[in-house]
Amino acid sequence: MSFDIMLHTPTFILAMPLLFAFLTILVSKFSKKFGEMTFLLGLLLTGFFVFLMSYRIFTDGGWIYTFGAEEVTTRNFFRITFIADGFAALATITIAITAIAAGIYSFGYLEKEMSSDKFYTLFLLTLGGVNGMVLTGDLFNLFVWFEVTSVASCALVAYENYRGRSVEAALKYMVLSTVGGLVVLFSIGLLYGQYGVLNYALLSGSISRTFLDKLALALLLVIFAMKASSVPMHMWAPDAYGEAPGPATPFIAITSLGSLFVLFRLLFGVFGVGIDTAAIGAILVILGVLSMFVGVTMALVQNDLKRLIAYLSVSQMGYMMMAVGVGLATLNTVEYQNFGELAMKGGLFHMINDGVYKALLFLSAVAVIHKTDLRSLNDLGGLAHKMPYTTMFFLVGALSIAGIPPMSGFSSKLLIYQSVYLYNPILAVIALVVSIITFAIMGKVFFNAFLGPDQGLTDGEVSNVMLSGMAILTAVVILFTLFPNLVVSEIVTPAIEALTGGVLP
Amino acid sequence: MIDIVLEGIWSPIVFILVILITTLVAYILYEMGNPSYKRTKHKGEPFISGNRPPKDIRKIHVPGDNLFWGFTEALKNYFEPLVEGHTGKLNDYMYWVVITLAVVLIYIYMAV
Repeated sequence: MSFDIMLHTPTFILAMPLLFAFLTILVSKFSKKFGEMTFLLGLLLTGFFVFLMSYRIFTDGGWIYTFGAEEVTTRNFFRITFIADGFAALATITIAITAIAAGIYSFGYLEKEMSSDKFYTLFLLTLGGVNGMVLTGDLFNLFVWFEVTSVASCALVAYENYRGRSVEAALKYMVLSTVGGLVVLFSIGLLYGQYGVLNYALLSGSISRTFLDKLALALLLVIFAMKASSVPMHMWAPDAYGEAPGPATPFIAITSLGSLFVLFRLLFGVFGVGIDTAAIGAILVILGVLSMFVGVTMALVQNDLKRLIAYLSVSQMGYMMMAVGVGLATLNTVEYQNFGELAMKGGLFHMINDGVYKALLFLSAVAVIHKTDLRSLNDLGGLAHKMPYTTMFFLVGALSIAGIPPMSGFSSKLLIYQSVYLYNPILAVIALVVSIITFAIMGKVFFNAFLGPDQGLTDGEVSNVMLSGMAILTAVVILFTLFPNLVVSEIVTPAIEALTGGVLP
Repeated sequence: MIDIVLEGIWSPIVFILVILITTLVAYILYEMGNPSYKRTKHKGEPFISGNRPPKDIRKIHVPGDNLFWGFTEALKNYFEPLVEGHTGKLNDYMYWVVITLAVVLIYIYMAV
């Protein structure tokens, strides 16, 4: 019997980070250098298997990967499925790109850190957890990965525990994550108690509009929206992003994006058939608009560099929720063909875009803080003289997040503007206004931190390793900028087909 | 079925080419500018409404607080409660989760 490695890639995507998380800390006891190499190997292998899985999905189509019993029966505890489809490919590609870039960057950032092995272990555990969240096709297994992600990422936020603020941010994040985890478990119990199954596909066929179904839907929707830092449950995000150690910041943001991926998977894949999608889509649209507007206006009054980008991150999450909400609201209607599918394309394209340029912005902000030990825009200035590469990387990320043509952020936002206008013109106007304010904010940050006379705040650039982490993300942003149609047709469209496959007639 | 056709094209490569051509034209125009211009010692120094530039170089730079001050001041009725609402207290974070959950729950029972 031949071993088809392509078929087993979902297992490797989960196994590699978990295995190397513990190998790294073990090897680091003997040599810090070898520990770093082990960490890098874990990241690269995970990325390699993500590439293999995505390649097979894009060429031969998706598949269901099963652990345990092969037969589908009710009340079968020993059967966990993982979904390897276009949507999982989109999610894991986004996560892998960010993880590899942030991982490489961390070598430079943690150069003088004695206990960096713990950071690497937590980083890989978070990677394994978030990959599991987006790949699983089983509700209880989702809860397990949710907890793995929460515990590891909370510990990452508290990594610089000599700073009180980090510990405080981690405590808030931990309480919300734990309460969220319990609520998720409770809602899983509600569904399992009624139908005796945990598998997404089986549940999808069983879900109707019972009292308990609606309760489970509301609970799951709110908790995953909270983890995705949706307004008004976003307040933990600026704390956690702002206080997490430098290279972990974009990765904590990626766990939020992972939660949004899960939310979309649940709404389409589990509740999409039995529940009125128009009403649920409307909830996503409302949360999205709130997130866009409140996020961007809060960013406008921030002077702390990382908190400012964190609020912009909240705002960008709003775009995705609004666009996919429009897609969900128009599902099974003629409007889906007219503009709903386009909104989905815009929303999902924005997810992969946002994952990459937001990570770039966070890493360049961290580079500034790392070199100057300053994070207030009142104290920074003139850094472009001594940090030209960081300035350039920041500019690429800033133009992209602001949706300035021809950057990749513009391509996805253009799809969103066009489609949501046809759903409700006011939404398109709000999206445009938010983009303009985002551009103004990015102008403020760029002017305050990088322009002006050299104030002697730094003696030069960050290390080449840190620069290479940012360069990887910049290269991806430029690639997405130059070939948006390719990304939409090869990565985003299969994701939409996977998401709506079981729902559309 | 209503036929809606989204018209227009978006090609970033064409856009970049247009930017490059425009930049080239601008550069040519710049080069054709006043040939008598000569850079002297004081040309290129910061101009602060005719005031003498301060000796402390950091005072030349506008700090973050001052940018968009007019905007936030004009809309302070919106910004003040918004900023005050972000208390940083964990209890308030939980309240918002519970409030959102209640609203979503009521909406789902009524609309779905």
